[in-house]
Amino acid sequence: MENTVIKIENLVKRYGDLIALDHFSLAIREGEIFGLLGPNGSGKTTTINCMLSLLAFDKGNIEIFGQKMTPVSYDIKKQIGIIMQDVAVFNELTVYENIDYFCGLYITDKAERKRCVMEAVEFTGLGEFLKFYPKKLSGGLLRRLNIACGIAHKPRLIILDEPTIAVDPQSRNKILEGIQKLNRMGATIVYTSHYMEEVEQICTRIAIMDKGKKIAEGTKDELKRMIKNTETITVEVLGLSEAVRNEIIQLPHVYRTEYDGERLTVFCSGGTHNLIRVLDVFRTHEIRVGRVYSELPTLNDVFLEITGKELRDRKGDSHVLS
Amino acid sequence: MFFHDLKYFILSQLKTKNLIFWLLLFPIALGCFFRIAFGEIYGNLTQTGPIPVAVVEEKDNPVFRSVLESMKGLEEQFLDPVDLDEATALERLKNNTVEGILYVNDKLRLTVAEDGLEETMLKKFVETYTLRETILTDAALTHPEKMEAAAAALSKDCHSVASVSVTTGNTNNFTQYFYNLIAMTALYGSLLGMQICFNNQANLSALGARKSCSPISKAVSLAADLTGAVLLQFLCMAVCVTFLVFVLKIDLGNRLPLVYLAACLGGMTGVSIGFFVGSIGTAGQRVRTGICNAVVLLFCFFSGLMVGNMKALVARFVPWLNEINPAAVISDSIYCLNLYSDYRRFGEKLAAMLLISLLFCILGIIMTRRKQYADI
Amino acid sequence: MQIFKAFFKVLKKSIPSSLIYIIIFLSISLVFAFSGQEDKTVFEQTELIFCIFDQDDSAESRSLVSYIGKQHELVDLEQDEDILLDALYYERVNCILLIKSGYAKQLAAGNTENLFERYTMHAGYADILTEQLLDQYVASVSAYLAEGCLLPEAVQKAETALSVQADVTYADFEADTEYPTVLFFFFQYLPYILISVLFNTLCPVLLTMNRNDIRFRTDCSGIRPASYLLWNSAGSVLFIIGIWLLFMGVGMILYGGLYVGKAWIAALNSFVFTLVSASWAILFSCFSPGENTINLITQVIGLGMSFFCGIFVEQSLLGSGVLAVARFLPAYWYVRINNMLSGNEPFRSENVLVFLLIETAFAVVAGMLALLIGKFRYRRLSAE
Repeated sequence: MENTVIKIENLVKRYGDLIALDHFSLAIREGEIFGLLGPNGSGKTTTINCMLSLLAFDKGNIEIFGQKMTPVSYDIKKQIGIIMQDVAVFNELTVYENIDYFCGLYITDKAERKRCVMEAVEFTGLGEFLKFYPKKLSGGLLRRLNIACGIAHKPRLIILDEPTIAVDPQSRNKILEGIQKLNRMGATIVYTSHYMEEVEQICTRIAIMDKGKKIAEGTKDELKRMIKNTETITVEVLGLSEAVRNEIIQLPHVYRTEYDGERLTVFCSGGTHNLIRVLDVFRTHEIRVGRVYSELPTLNDVFLEITGKELRDRKGDSHVLS
Repeated sequence: MFFHDLKYFILSQLKTKNLIFWLLLFPIALGCFFRIAFGEIYGNLTQTGPIPVAVVEEKDNPVFRSVLESMKGLEEQFLDPVDLDEATALERLKNNTVEGILYVNDKLRLTVAEDGLEETMLKKFVETYTLRETILTDAALTHPEKMEAAAAALSKDCHSVASVSVTTGNTNNFTQYFYNLIAMTALYGSLLGMQICFNNQANLSALGARKSCSPISKAVSLAADLTGAVLLQFLCMAVCVTFLVFVLKIDLGNRLPLVYLAACLGGMTGVSIGFFVGSIGTAGQRVRTGICNAVVLLFCFFSGLMVGNMKALVARFVPWLNEINPAAVISDSIYCLNLYSDYRRFGEKLAAMLLISLLFCILGIIMTRRKQYADI
Repeated sequence: MQIFKAFFKVLKKSIPSSLIYIIIFLSISLVFAFSGQEDKTVFEQTELIFCIFDQDDSAESRSLVSYIGKQHELVDLEQDEDILLDALYYERVNCILLIKSGYAKQLAAGNTENLFERYTMHAGYADILTEQLLDQYVASVSAYLAEGCLLPEAVQKAETALSVQADVTYADFEADTEYPTVLFFFFQYLPYILISVLFNTLCPVLLTMNRNDIRFRTDCSGIRPASYLLWNSAGSVLFIIGIWLLFMGVGMILYGGLYVGKAWIAALNSFVFTLVSASWAILFSCFSPGENTINLITQVIGLGMSFFCGIFVEQSLLGSGVLAVARFLPAYWYVRINNMLSGNEPFRSENVLVFLLIETAFAVVAGMLALLIGKFRYRRLSAE
């Protein structure tokens, strides 16, 4: 039986008239990498700030490690590592000093602290930059420092709030691998992001939020099963006749087709050999086809179908570009 | 935990440029300017040279001539007369190269261009001259035989006034600018105090948020940071006073250790004020720094940093303000040390500083200890 | 045009910080203008402030107190050492006088020495005036005593004789309507404000406009560097002139109409100084200072120049060494022109011209240096 690490019940948080969290509930079990997914402004960071007792909330109940979380729950806080969305380090202190400082807030023993700091440094690959000031670090390195400051004390629960914003793909992969490694070493991880690829890649369970509500929860596969579409087949083909299209739509599991003169898209729901069946139709009519792809649904499709809008909004994208 | 936090607070602040600018460089620069501007001004103002005056003779008056002649021999020359024609005299009066014009006729007449002490003294001179005439004429009419005795009495040096100096301290009232400079530096400690809030409050900075998530208790972390800020401010105050006394050679009296003590306590007051200001509201660092600067300068304005006799004016019209205005309290403490031989007033001022510090610290802690925030 | 527009958009952001200076300065000027504006035609002798403790408490000593009170101001102070010290230190009284007990007796006996004690702190003409006043009084009384009067009679006669006022006329230089005192003070403090405002606004804007990344991006757009410089300069000039016009407008409000005669020279003087401050600000921005550095340098240059060159403290009160150094600063020449206009210094038109040229030279040199450094920096940037 897995233990519940975080239990949130009916959390309500208002900013004036705006309802940021609307009866939000969540349970995260030990050993999970839990992904909290949602567009910007959906309430992810608010949830985390409430969990950490930074924000006062209007209604609800939060328990961490089976105990009610309050601002003075120092025993609980000791076991949490937090990596904020904004880089929270002293610009006036070097990389080593920053990690040592934050680690020192958790671990008082000097020798042990030193070991922890060095492990964190090694873990994040900051070894060459110990004497650097944060201003001199590149975006990716700065993020890694931000992470090192949060995990040096070897917490049981690590909360990462969009740790990969404005990070190059290489650093991002390193960070994601690191998170998985931490998880293997025994930490429960809460991970928020609006990049569904990341979440798909590492998370064992995912909750999707929108407008302060949880709209879906489960493993990747569970989530994908929640929607009608299970496979999308695209075939490049010219001058397709109406008769053939009708024939395809009659195939089992196919529920919709789209054709723009060059490319036929076939949406399937369930079934296992959909691609072969579609290609069989073309072969019997001796129609030559170009490239063919078959795609499984992504979280974006899940999100799209549940909320009727793209998961990633433009703001988030421009973040990556700039 | 306490010392860990203390160590890193001091380390991070030492590397902050704000600290070096406002707490070290700015006071030193301002001190230099004050030294330049006020270095000789007291000497110039308290120096009393002969008053330049134009003499325009409309009619020959040998008596007046002889008075002028006799005055030339005096040890302390009171007038510096030049003979001129009327046009030149007026020209010079306009240009301020003479203070007045004496028209010599049967009677003396005086023309001046403005009101002032020098002009008043010229008027007195003319009056002395006429007074002599009046008294002697009186004598001639009533007791001609005693005229000589009367004349002798008039000519005698009276020395009716014995001058008593009231203090052995530095009476140069321009030194108060330096007292206020120390007060200003002390109050700039508020920038340090404000930093404490930034480092500890989750709603002010990401750093504060991270610290709030850690298991260090707020009381310990506030205590450590306050201690760090006060220690740093002590250092800055010591540098400031040392610079004034040993580099600029400002006379701050002969009880220097107590001046250091007062300056340091003042610095503590500054830190506590900043701590309090930092704990109210959620405005950003820039806005807050602006507010702090403005408040500090306002305090200093009423204490006389910009206008020297402001404190006297305040003492006259709103005396209680000098008792609670931190800048006035700090500068007064050093002033008292300098002018008074006893320690009563000095002690009172120190007590006031401690009280203000304590008040703002407690208020700040109450505000900061409110643990959760409505908005981040 | 894009560049020009961007310039002013960025400028808008740095205006609030300098607005504080402008508002404070303007309100102080206005208070000044509406408080101290009375035409004087009659000479009034300076009233000293006395605090007298009468230990003798005789008819004669009381008579003396009332005699002093007729010409000067009397205040009552508690006979507490601290209070007296404070009052003297801050010049709330000029003189604390103690009439020693036995004053009347001594005077009757013809003894004129050491009748009073005077507590002083700051030396000066006020001290001499006090001594003169008392010596004269005592001498007159003893003269009448010598004539054979009794003490009360002598005192009375002496006071009558002393009450004869000298004939003082006020030289009527027809109050300077071209350049009234209000305007003098306005122009006197203007340099400090100009420096503060121009440094606080121009520096941040130019820093932003010349930031490497922005420069690069602009260069990529195919705009020639010369044209970039030109538009930025146009923006700066327009802003500088705008600021100057604003102050001239306020000056005219204080003045109560369009400037006449000498006031125009002051306006010209301030215009030249505006150019000086602006060119210094531009030069300073070439060194890409941080926000803190801008703050500090603004204060140092603003306050430093004001103290050094006689803006805050009259030049006549500064030491000769200070003034010798001040010659190497533009504000010194600015203040000298202002002094000439107000009549604090003899007015010579050729001097005005020379001083204006010296100020201009400061602006030109700073401007050229800024251009040179800017060009050098840009070259090095492109070379990297």
